[in-house]
Amino acid sequence: MKGLVLIKQVPNTDSPFRINSAGTWVDESNLTYVLNDYDRYALEALLRLKDAGAMTEVVALTAGPERASQALRTCLATGADRAIHIKDDALTAAAPLVVARAICAAIKGEAFDLIACGLQADDDNHMQIGGAVARLLDRPCASAAMSLELRDGGTARVERELENNRLQVVDLKLPAVITVQTGINEPRYASLKGIMAAKKKEIRTVTLADLGMGADAIGADGYRTVRLTPPPKGKGAEMLQGPADQVARELLKRIREKTGVI
Amino acid sequence: MGCKILVVAEHEGGAVRDITWELLGLAHAVAPQGGWGAADIKAVLPGQGIGAVAAAIAGRGAAEVLLVEAPELQDYACDGYDRAIEAVVKAEQPEILLFGHTPNGWDVAPLVAAGLGVPLATECSQIAREDGRWLFSRKAFNGKFIQVLDLGKARPLVATVQKGAAGPFAGTTAGQVRAVTPALGVLKARFVETKKGEAGGVDLTQAPVIVAGGRGVGAADKFEIIKSLAAALGGQVGASRPVTDMGWLPHQHQVGSSGVTVNPKLYIACGISGAIQHIVGMKGSGYIVAINKDAEAPIFGVADVGVVGDLFEIVPALTKAVKEARGQ
Repeated sequence: MKGLVLIKQVPNTDSPFRINSAGTWVDESNLTYVLNDYDRYALEALLRLKDAGAMTEVVALTAGPERASQALRTCLATGADRAIHIKDDALTAAAPLVVARAICAAIKGEAFDLIACGLQADDDNHMQIGGAVARLLDRPCASAAMSLELRDGGTARVERELENNRLQVVDLKLPAVITVQTGINEPRYASLKGIMAAKKKEIRTVTLADLGMGADAIGADGYRTVRLTPPPKGKGAEMLQGPADQVARELLKRIREKTGVI
Repeated sequence: MGCKILVVAEHEGGAVRDITWELLGLAHAVAPQGGWGAADIKAVLPGQGIGAVAAAIAGRGAAEVLLVEAPELQDYACDGYDRAIEAVVKAEQPEILLFGHTPNGWDVAPLVAAGLGVPLATECSQIAREDGRWLFSRKAFNGKFIQVLDLGKARPLVATVQKGAAGPFAGTTAGQVRAVTPALGVLKARFVETKKGEAGGVDLTQAPVIVAGGRGVGAADKFEIIKSLAAALGGQVGASRPVTDMGWLPHQHQVGSSGVTVNPKLYIACGISGAIQHIVGMKGSGYIVAINKDAEAPIFGVADVGVVGDLFEIVPALTKAVKEARGQ
């Protein structure tokens, strides 16, 4: 069995986020980037299958600009066998469906029994790539996986997370796609040995043009971010300032007046 | 035949799920902006043995309910529901297709949109017309920003809609129910069962006070100050998702879309930035206090009172003040 993990390099959530001058996305100049947290769990899910002898190869794939190769290196250092990088700066603004099409084109001719990705990316929060890839490849898909078990007869049993602490158990006939919720496992970190070994592992780079997707593949359909804005302040919190003791007294006063719990 | 807005209805245990009424409420609210009326709003309902559910939806918001019944659709399965919905969309040719941003809605919507070859806007809080275009507002960067998307020329425009984005449709309609039977083909996903997650002794839904800690607390052993404040207030300890993922607290303490939804009289959020997944689970609380070192944290947008500062100074000070007030 072969496994493919779809990963994304995203800004560190602690980065100082500012809106860019065009008002359409974040200003990327002040950001540091990391492997998307959800994707670490997706990679770990596949590596565990490999550790158990159920999988012979785990491949990591990303679609993104030059810098994204660093996230692939992280996957290789953590245990992935090789990587594929669809490299194009335009991908940042592409509709997830376009990214999914590029992914399907890039893996054409390879037979992956299980494709895994994180439930969502911490930047755009789209939650679409897994499902879109599954549909384009005519495979079943289960999102928000909290457990994964390979069973006899070529199926994967997945427990999907529902609301209010409930799980939906579903059997997917392989080949299949899952999107992974954080907490499904405890992702390992790269070892020093792994980091050294990663330097010798292959990252195959392809461009959108290589995949037969021309310049009109992105944006020609009119899909675009019109603007990015700060969220509405809502009712707006009253902000308290001062030394901790004084702030605590002010908080206590309001809690007494407004809630009646004291 | 045909419609302008098609809503994907959800049901469970023979009842209509609340998100369906909200989707119909949203459809009725935005239809006039497209020059459409109540007769242009329909619903698609996959399932089995749910005639009564269909009738209820036809009576409350849908001019017509396209009922797709088959044994394979008894419970949710991604490919069966995908094919049922895609077939109805192709027949009805709506301008807008709305799913709830629920575990089943976000599971099937990308399949349907990819099958139709059109873009999708997820977790939308608003849909509005601007300069002759439909624009979809959604959260990005876990709620730090609102992204306003133009989905372009393709139709239908597909969106999953956040819970609470619109009020439930409260009117009545004299809609029809029409059974349709598209071919579902060979299905590769099979529903097995629904079951409870890990059990525990904590029931946050009944707590009058919840003191919740987030990533900002920093470590499992540092939760002692959160627990002390909760104890002083006679409340329970809550947590955001990273806390339970990292094993600092068991999963049943998790508040949010993948944990429990709570509405205590008092909710104190400590070191919680306020990702949308957390906010949807606690915004109904009576009074919300937020303590966070980041003045830009989205949690302050839903809080009644906020403090920008070090929770390791403020929380113990508040615990001390509460204890003094209670004569403890």
